[in-house]
Amino acid sequence: MAAMTATASRSSKTESYVDNKRKDDIRMANIKSARSVADAVRTSLGPKGMDKMISTASGEVIITNDGATILNKMEVLQPAAKMLVELSKSQDVVAGDGTTTVVVIAGALLKQCQTLLHAGIHPTVVSDSLHKASVKAIDILTAMAVPVELSDRESLVKSASTSLNSKVVSQYSTLLAPLAVDSVLSVVDPAKPDLVDLRDVKIVKKLGGTVDDTELVKGLVFDKKVSHAAGGPTRIENAKIAVIQFQISPPKTDIEQSIVVSDYTQMDRILKEERTYILGMIKKIKATGCNVLLIQKSILRDAVTDLSLHYLAKAKILVIKDVERDDIEFITKTLNCLPIANIEHFRAEKLGYADMVEEVSLGDGKIVRVTGIKDMGRTTTVLVRGSNLLVLDEAERSLHDALCVVRCLVNKKFLIAGGGAPEIELSRQLGAWSKVLQGMESFCVRSFAEALEVIPYTLAENAGLNPIAIVTELRNRHAQGEINAGINVRKGQITNILEENVVQPLLVSTSAITLATECVRMILKIDDIVTVR
Amino acid sequence: MKPTPTTCSPKIHQPQTTSTRTVSRGRTQSEIEEEWLARSAGIQVERLFKDEATEEKGERARMASFVGAMAIADLVKTTLGPKGMDKILQSTGRGHSVTVTNDGATILKSLHIDNPAAKVLIDISKVQDDEVGDGTTSVVVLAGELLREAEKLVATKIHPMTIISGYRMAADCARSALLERVMDNKEDAEKFRSDLMKIAMTTLSSKILSQDKEHFATLAVDAVMRLKVSSSLYFGSTNLESIQIIKKAGGSLKDSFLDEGFILDKKIGLGQPKRIENANILVANTAMDTDKVKIYGARVRVDSMAKVAQIEGAEKEKMREKVQKIIGHGINCFVNRQLIYNFPEELFADAGILAIEHADFDGIERLALVTGGEIASTFDNPESVKLGHCKLIEEIMIGEDKLIHFSGVEMGQACTIVLRGASFHVLDEAERSLHDALCVLSQTVNDSRVLLGGGWPEMVMAKAVDELARKTPGKKSHAIDAFSRALLAIPTTIADNAGLDSAELIAQLRAEHHKENSNAGIDVITGSVGDMGELGISEAFKVKQAVLLSATEAAEMILRVDEIITCAPRRREDRM
Repeated sequence: MAAMTATASRSSKTESYVDNKRKDDIRMANIKSARSVADAVRTSLGPKGMDKMISTASGEVIITNDGATILNKMEVLQPAAKMLVELSKSQDVVAGDGTTTVVVIAGALLKQCQTLLHAGIHPTVVSDSLHKASVKAIDILTAMAVPVELSDRESLVKSASTSLNSKVVSQYSTLLAPLAVDSVLSVVDPAKPDLVDLRDVKIVKKLGGTVDDTELVKGLVFDKKVSHAAGGPTRIENAKIAVIQFQISPPKTDIEQSIVVSDYTQMDRILKEERTYILGMIKKIKATGCNVLLIQKSILRDAVTDLSLHYLAKAKILVIKDVERDDIEFITKTLNCLPIANIEHFRAEKLGYADMVEEVSLGDGKIVRVTGIKDMGRTTTVLVRGSNLLVLDEAERSLHDALCVVRCLVNKKFLIAGGGAPEIELSRQLGAWSKVLQGMESFCVRSFAEALEVIPYTLAENAGLNPIAIVTELRNRHAQGEINAGINVRKGQITNILEENVVQPLLVSTSAITLATECVRMILKIDDIVTVR
Repeated sequence: MKPTPTTCSPKIHQPQTTSTRTVSRGRTQSEIEEEWLARSAGIQVERLFKDEATEEKGERARMASFVGAMAIADLVKTTLGPKGMDKILQSTGRGHSVTVTNDGATILKSLHIDNPAAKVLIDISKVQDDEVGDGTTSVVVLAGELLREAEKLVATKIHPMTIISGYRMAADCARSALLERVMDNKEDAEKFRSDLMKIAMTTLSSKILSQDKEHFATLAVDAVMRLKVSSSLYFGSTNLESIQIIKKAGGSLKDSFLDEGFILDKKIGLGQPKRIENANILVANTAMDTDKVKIYGARVRVDSMAKVAQIEGAEKEKMREKVQKIIGHGINCFVNRQLIYNFPEELFADAGILAIEHADFDGIERLALVTGGEIASTFDNPESVKLGHCKLIEEIMIGEDKLIHFSGVEMGQACTIVLRGASFHVLDEAERSLHDALCVLSQTVNDSRVLLGGGWPEMVMAKAVDELARKTPGKKSHAIDAFSRALLAIPTTIADNAGLDSAELIAQLRAEHHKENSNAGIDVITGSVGDMGELGISEAFKVKQAVLLSATEAAEMILRVDEIITCAPRRREDRM
């Protein structure tokens, strides 16, 4: 709030001298706070990066290595720091991976900008040169990239496992990586080979077991118990599944209503009527041959009552209740059926068919599994297991990243080496390019090149290696033309990183550089913070 | 009589130099004596104002408004020109939301201001935004400079009225100087288009879109030209309503595109066709959950469950009838502003009709406009309802989201610009910038007179005004001279913001303009004086004219002020 009052009292002064000084202060303050955000996540970069424990306001604890998640939970207030948080979010949207990288690059660029500004270079000049450098950088990266075919499953698995290697669940990367690749490939529509809708991959978390038990289910999994109040079936073969959006309970009108009961016999009659009403509904359902019911959650009234459950159990119909409305689309798409909103429309052609619907005990709970679906839509379900909630959540986040990586490859079918190789190569080529340029531009491009070395530097540092020795050796190797030389964190030395199967999608690297530059340029251009309503 | 404290709360944006006379009831003994003396002389007016009301008079009032207005001008000054800086607007409200912007109107709109003169400047910037859409910063900077010059003149004991009349003469002269130099390429379609491109690029070059200005200029020009071509009957439509801007995070600014048609950010209902050709669209605003009896306290009393079931059935039946009526219009696409519940949704799906629920208000108004339909709310007379038409409706995917695309719509000029960008900050700012460009372009389509940019118009005006000052006898000539100096402030600021040596550049420019018909202006890219015609930097005449006239008027208005009366703040009723 101190800044607020300062803004107010100072803006009334007219001397331009005071104003200019203040602008420098604001810019430096912005850069400083943005850099401290970048520093906070720096140590989580790379396969040997550390995790952060975040305890949220509600007392919940999250352990994660995912830059986007860390920043998201940090609740920063300073506007420039907020922009960095947004930056990592954008990277999450665009590429899904590299959320830490993008912030670290932005931090390094800001550090260089600070020096440039101190040298008296005008911010707009810096900003324009950064843009030029980033455009050039994209060209260099594209030239380095190796095309990949979707049929080349091995390469896809490699890049997914690179992403997973930096996470808590890295020891399971051999399991999770192929899983991610398979699930993405199975939802790719051959008609539109460049598009993947990750909403078609559903991740179901279930506590218990270890991450090893995670599996890909060709079908549907509900994290719910079968509702069997009165000993209904829990396993049905050759299931005919109906997704219903109405309720099997006593009628309720939209207009307010009350039933007047004046004597005892009437009460009896009403009870009987309720029974016949429900029985009537269930008979209609049974008549179509349906034996599995998925009932949408209702806020207006009970979806099912004990009474109706009892009758359904007698009719040997398996019931899963409280299906969220948002999930209906996914379910109908998977089952290749149509939702039914009224008992009158309950017809056989709206049902979906599956070989097996069964309730399985897992850990401390039960899940329902639908497999062998006839004419299944292009969807998949991944059942993630974990020994505790923290691991489970982190596994889900990691899997999401891996899925995103595969999606990136579907969108843009190019791979690039990992392990700091592209960054050091960029740094080298941009450095060489800066020598051809003239004036301020050359100076700024060189700073850009230097800033990119932060990635290999941090990778080495986080892995407990000597960063200076590693980075200088890396530079040397690249100068000798080994453009794929990178840091092999496992061996603690420099090797040809492509041979080590450390690869990542091109899109992750390119979007990290463009987004980071865009964000830095925006911060540079700001000269004042105005408080408004 | 209870004494009231004499301290008045310190006011933001009021300079310390201005002492305010607080009319209050807490008086010292000597004051009371004085008053008694005065009253006996019969000239004292009993307290004129309420408690806590303040008045500032004469010189002080003028000073207060000068200072306030100049402070506002200085605040936005740094955003002027292609190398202008941005501001962070940090909201003090909930969420502390952050906006990064370069748009003068947006900055000024959201400021807390307690200085009446400053409010006048904010108003002119708003009006400029509404009228022509661009030049919102220029107008405030010019008005501020005019006042700065006026302050100096007032200090040398020149009467404000003299200054005002001088300013008026100067403004007239400047305007006619511009009129002499305008270019009009209305007749030559090709040239006109290139003019539009130049204007769009000039407008965009000061914004976040500057890196991709060619791309966006093409987008904006295409969009506006569509308006123009299809509405040739009433030439020059400025109906920007039919240009829709959709923001989608992800991708980069370069991925933005212009789409011929209309895009609705909604989902198609379950089990309904995802693609319809030759669609007949009914746009409606009706309840598709349940038709409730809207009589307060209405309720049914029944004595058996079966009757409840009957009522429920009747309600369902009613809805079914309604749906049947809607289907009876012979439509294959139904768009509703309100929710469509599962039951009617299924009915529509059965009938093979594409139903879109919960389209926001803006969305359906626009959809009705572009498809040529009317928004219906009753369905009893299918003949009287005007349906919308379009050639194709299909689901498309932008980034991660699915949207509904209407192409081949009735109103051919309709189009959608889909903006993509790294973050919401970028997108919001991009939208503001694009809006500016679209406004200016549509104004230019109306009034196709074009000027050069880059400080060129100001130099031309300054030169003409300078000559006028030399010819005019009397004190007014000082004011006219001052006007020309104020005009020079705009190129000076542009140069300053670009980090260039403004004094040197302005002197060079002046020398260049001494020659007849010079096209010289500031080329901020190379940091020197350049030929604006060759560089393709253009501005719309209408914008410049609006800047000139409204800045002059605002300055005049503030100059005329000799007393500021601040009313007592409204007291909140004491809670009992």
